[in-house]
Amino acid sequence: MNAIRLVRHSIRAISRYKQRSAFIMLGSFVGTAALTLVVAVGAGAERKMLSTVRQLFGVSSIIVMAGGAHLMGPPRANAARLTLDDIEAIASDVSAVEIWDPQQALPEASVRYEGRTATARVLGQSERAERAWQRTVTRGVFIDETAVRASARVALIGETTARELFGDGDPIGQEILVGNVPLRIVGILEPFGTDLHGMDRDDEVVVPISTMMRRLMNVDTIILAKILVRDPSQVEGAVRDITRVLRERHGIPAGRPDDFTLVSPITVQKMVARTERILKLYLPLVAAIALLVATIVAAALMLASVNERVGEIGLRRAVGARVEDVLLQFVVETSATMLSGGLLGVIAGSVAAEAIAARLHLGQLLPWRAALLGIVVSIITGILAGVLPARRAARLDPVEALR
Amino acid sequence: MIELQGITRVYAPSGRPPVHALSDVSLRIERGEFVAVVGTSGSGKSTLMSIFGLLARPTSGRYLFDGHDVTTLSVEEQARFRNKRVGFVFQGLHLLPRTSALENVELPLLYSERTAIDGLGSKALAAVGLTDRMQHTPAELSGGQQQRVAIARALVNEPDIVLADEPTGNLDPRSALEVMSLFRELNRQGHTIVIVTHDMAMAGHAKRVARIENGRIVADRTTTPARERASEAR
Repeated sequence: MNAIRLVRHSIRAISRYKQRSAFIMLGSFVGTAALTLVVAVGAGAERKMLSTVRQLFGVSSIIVMAGGAHLMGPPRANAARLTLDDIEAIASDVSAVEIWDPQQALPEASVRYEGRTATARVLGQSERAERAWQRTVTRGVFIDETAVRASARVALIGETTARELFGDGDPIGQEILVGNVPLRIVGILEPFGTDLHGMDRDDEVVVPISTMMRRLMNVDTIILAKILVRDPSQVEGAVRDITRVLRERHGIPAGRPDDFTLVSPITVQKMVARTERILKLYLPLVAAIALLVATIVAAALMLASVNERVGEIGLRRAVGARVEDVLLQFVVETSATMLSGGLLGVIAGSVAAEAIAARLHLGQLLPWRAALLGIVVSIITGILAGVLPARRAARLDPVEALR
Repeated sequence: MIELQGITRVYAPSGRPPVHALSDVSLRIERGEFVAVVGTSGSGKSTLMSIFGLLARPTSGRYLFDGHDVTTLSVEEQARFRNKRVGFVFQGLHLLPRTSALENVELPLLYSERTAIDGLGSKALAAVGLTDRMQHTPAELSGGQQQRVAIARALVNEPDIVLADEPTGNLDPRSALEVMSLFRELNRQGHTIVIVTHDMAMAGHAKRVARIENGRIVADRTTTPARERASEAR
C-alpha cells in the first residue's frame, strides 16, 4: 500500500523543521541522558560497594572494633581499651574462631627514603593478615611469625608509596624511615585500588603488629581485629560469644552499652541494604524527575507544534488523508524524533558515566534497561503530546481544521 | 453530474442565534461545465464550496454525485471521495512550507490508492506551466506561481471536478488573468471547473455564472458566446 510512501514522507518532514525537531529532540535527549547517567553511576557504585564489602568482610568474618556504636569512620580518640589479650581470650574461648588478626594504625605517617618523603597509612598487622584480609604480596615475602614475635624492623609497602619513594627502582631490601624507626622492605603489597571512601589503599605500609605497638606508637591497645570463623553458619553464635567474653573482660555491668563494636556479615548486610535502598530508589527517583521535566518540556513543544499544524492536518484530510493516515504520519514523526533524541541521550549519558566511573574507579556497564526506559517514556510522551492532538485535529471537518 | 437538492447549512455558535449560511440551495452542474459562483463576502459561497468538496456536511438536503448521495458516506469514504473525485484549490492555498512544488503537488497521491503515480506530479506541473519550478519551495515562488502549484495539486489525481475558492483573491490583476485563462484552458481540455469569486470580472471567464446572496442562489445564467469570445480575445 502507500504506507511506505507515507512513512518516507513523514521522515522528510522532520528534517524540514530542523529547529523545531531539534528542540523536541533535546527534551528526550536530556531526560534519557540523565536517566542513563544516574543509573549507570548508581549501578557502578553499587557493584563497587558490594565487591569492596566482599573483599573486606567475607561471609564468615567478624570485625571487632574498639569503641561502641559506630560503624564507619576512624575510631574515637579515647576509645575504650581493646588489647591483644582481649582477642587472644576470644580466640581461646570461642571455639568457632579459626583465625584472627589484630590491627593498629597510623592514619597519616611520614615515610622517608633517602631524600624523599611520602605520606602513607601505616598498619600494624600479624602474619595472619595475609589470610584474614585476603591480601598478599606480589613480590618478596609476607611478614612471618618470627618477625611478629621479634618486633622485627620489616615492612611491606603498597605500590603507590613504593612509586613515590623509589620511582622505578626496586624497593625490596631497601630501608625506609617511619618516624625515626628504620624498616627494611621485604615485600610489595598486592594492589587494592580505592576503597569505599575513595581512599587509595595502595598508599600503605604494613609492619608487624608488635613493631607497630612498641617501636612506632608505644601503645598497648589495638584498634580492631578481624576474626574468621570456620563456617558462615557459626557467625551469629560467634558474635554472641565474643560479646559475652569482651563484656566480661571489660567488666561492663548488664544494661550498659558495649565499649566495642562488632561488624559481622549480618550488620554489613544491613548497612549494604540501607545504601542499596538509596542507590536503587533515590538516585533513579532523581533521574526520573529529570526525565519527567525534560519530557514535559518536549511535550509542551510538541503540543505547540501540533497546534500550529492543524491547518496542515486539515489540508491532508481535504486532499484525501484518512484519520489513520494522519495518525501514522504523526506517530512516525514523533517516534523518530524522540527515538533519535533518546539514542543520542543514551550515548551522552554513557559517555558521561564512563568519565565519572573512570574517576571513581567504578566498573562500567551500559544500563540498557534504564536507557530503554528513557527512550520508551520519551516516545510515549511524544505520542500523548503529539499524536493525540493530531488525532483530534484529524477528526474535525476538514473545513474547520483549514480555518 | 453533481446535484445539490435543498442544501441548508446552519452554523450555531454557542450563545448566539444560528446563522443560515446556506438556505435551501439547489444547483445542478454537468460534466465539462465551467461555473463561477459569485457573491459578496458572507453570502455563503465558501460554505457552498466546502459542501461541494465534502469538506463540510450540510445540515440538511441531498448532494448527489453521479446519482449517488455522498452526504451519507462514512468519514473515511468521504476522504476517499475527496481524494479521487475532487480537486480543491483552497482559498488560503495551503501549500506546505519548505516543501518543493513537486512534493506539494504530489500530496494527494500520498493518500491515493493508485500504484502507478510516477510522473503524475510533473505532468500536473507541466499542465500549469511550471515545469521549470518543480524543485522550488513556495517561498521561492511568486503569488501567481503559488496559485498555479495549488491548481496543479488539484489536478494531480485526475479528479472529476476542480473546485477553486477565490483563486484570484490575493493576486495582482495580471496573475489573476493568467490563472483565469489557465482555468479556461483546463476547461477546454475537458475538466469540470467550479470557482467561487466576489469579482464579477473574473466570473466573466466562466461559461456559467451563479449569483449567491444570503445563502440563496438568486441568479444562474449561461454567459453569451459573444462575451466568451470577447474575453478570449483579450
